[in-house]
Amino acid sequence: MKKQNDAAKRKLPKKAVSQPAKVTIRKLPTGVRGLDDIMGGGIPEFSFNIIAGSPGCGKTTLSHQIVFANATAKKPALYFTVLGEPAMKMLRYQQQFSFFDESKLGKAIRFINLSDLALQQDLNAVIDEIIKQVTTISPGIVVVDSFRTVVRKAISGASELEMQSFIQRLAQFLTSWEATTFLVGEYVQEEIRDNPLFTIADGLIWLSQLAERNSVVRKLQIMKQRGQNSVPGLHTIRISDGGLQAFSRTLGLVGKKMIPTRNRRLSMGVPELDKMMGGGILEGDSLLVAGPSGTGKSALATQFIAEGLRKGEPGIMAIFEERQKGYTERADSFGLNLKKPQEKGKLEILYLRPLDLSVDETMQELLDAVERIGAKRLVIDSLVGFEMALAPGFRTDFRESLYRMIGGLTGAGVTVLSTVEVEDTFTALPFSQYTISFLTDDIIRMRYVEIDGQLRKVMVVIKMRGGNHSKDIREYVITGKGVVVIHPRSTDYNGLTTGIPTRTGPRQAQEEETAPEPKAKK
Amino acid sequence: MSRATPQMRGLSQCLIAYETRENKSSETRTPAACLVSEKLRPHLATLMGSVGFRALLARALALTHPEAAWLRAVHVKADGSLEGLDELEAQIHPDEIFEGCVVLLAQLLGLLAAFIGENLTLRMVREVWPKLSLNDLDFGKGNKK
Repeated sequence: MKKQNDAAKRKLPKKAVSQPAKVTIRKLPTGVRGLDDIMGGGIPEFSFNIIAGSPGCGKTTLSHQIVFANATAKKPALYFTVLGEPAMKMLRYQQQFSFFDESKLGKAIRFINLSDLALQQDLNAVIDEIIKQVTTISPGIVVVDSFRTVVRKAISGASELEMQSFIQRLAQFLTSWEATTFLVGEYVQEEIRDNPLFTIADGLIWLSQLAERNSVVRKLQIMKQRGQNSVPGLHTIRISDGGLQAFSRTLGLVGKKMIPTRNRRLSMGVPELDKMMGGGILEGDSLLVAGPSGTGKSALATQFIAEGLRKGEPGIMAIFEERQKGYTERADSFGLNLKKPQEKGKLEILYLRPLDLSVDETMQELLDAVERIGAKRLVIDSLVGFEMALAPGFRTDFRESLYRMIGGLTGAGVTVLSTVEVEDTFTALPFSQYTISFLTDDIIRMRYVEIDGQLRKVMVVIKMRGGNHSKDIREYVITGKGVVVIHPRSTDYNGLTTGIPTRTGPRQAQEEETAPEPKAKK
Repeated sequence: MSRATPQMRGLSQCLIAYETRENKSSETRTPAACLVSEKLRPHLATLMGSVGFRALLARALALTHPEAAWLRAVHVKADGSLEGLDELEAQIHPDEIFEGCVVLLAQLLGLLAAFIGENLTLRMVREVWPKLSLNDLDFGKGNKK
């Protein structure tokens, strides 16, 4: 049957004439980092777009970035201001952003104030002036800011039909003159259904600003885009010195090639632990190290990074709970020098602790750092600190965000070690409070146990997705060399995972330990 | 707070001197300060609307009063032009008029610089007077292009 089909395919005549080519829609860069990815490559040329949202969410800054990214002396941009923020104020504030290139003002970017026309005359006068300027200058980009005020004026002086006719005329004229247009306005989402503007527009970029407890988060949504696909959903945006930056929900990883990892095992920097893990952690895996405070999670994470550095693998440590200084000092006490690799550009310690972060921003920061130094190993210390650094709204989605983030990082070929603090209970052995064990390949659990009147530490490899591993519960200590696994599997106790084991074997002779505190010595 | 810094006064003098030279042969008796202001008006009105320009010029005029009290008789008309300067020319010494006009324009340009920065202000001046050389003016090096 298959052969017959193949033969039938071969008999098909070749196309005698070539098909007429489809129109290719050129995409203009937005000038906003991350937004081109969200928009499927950029803004469709000659499209008629609306940039909408509430006050203060970045509409004007976004329009300026688009204008500065595209305007040239040959294809200038016309920026019409109408009864909103006057150009003078725009120039004053926008020049604070790094994208603002004053050499473009005048020839490449022209600001025209239509407030007087809008106030003293009617809509026709406004459109006539726009037509006059566009006809004279033949711009590539046209912005009307704020178009909302034009509409308000229209409603007060003209009928709805006149309004629709005005928008239609404007859209047709600007598209015919090969201009990509942006109408900026303060709208609320309830208006979308009844306002003809949203029907006529080819693209609708919606910006919003949400206050969640004490944090404010800005979001962007491509609600409509004719001609090409965009990434659906709400994307976080941040306004900083560089202007707007957008963080795609898919972390810009859609369609990106995942970097295949070699099937080799990486040492954790603790030889006995490597043996327990069946030879080390598989490259490209995600490992979760869970345990209560003081069990040595950060120490183990530092050893993991230091071992990589010794083998020429650059690393990144994203720390949320401790400052960089404390981290490097502790590493010093283990004989691990983190300063030199930092100076050589082989290690970056990122201290991330604003309280309104989004996972996507963090992810972008980590991916940037990975790219910058070609990192092979990455530590997130800790997930609890990370969660605390997020704006409240993002905490509710923390689990799915982590899933995307870890997927994104391991997809970039990085081996990830995350630490998570868990409270020790005496009835169970939880791995984390996030129910995230499914998204990590490997899990190591550390815990305290009470043995012979001492609070000792044990660790166990719970899961290794890449192969077999030791099931032993091993005691370890934290010495001047870091985490050191000491004892082989002990069969003298039952119930180690509860933290209060019962002895089944004979009591072993122990060296007397002297109390380190001077007060206790007395 | 006066915006008429020495640099702005220097720029203002340059513009008045240029306009005086350009209009020497013409029959117009319009004071040079008015000519400068008139040339700036459309450019600024494009940016800030005529209402915005009128407000800016009125503020500059008010800032000039401590240095040139006689300018209290001058007003900004609704269209943004100066009213009353011609009449004063007969009563006030030409040097005083010249000084007052220099300060008025310096205040106007200084206000502009306070809002949009020296760079953009000078850029605009160059656009309006492309033939005018501003090389001798001593603006802060950091702001020079």
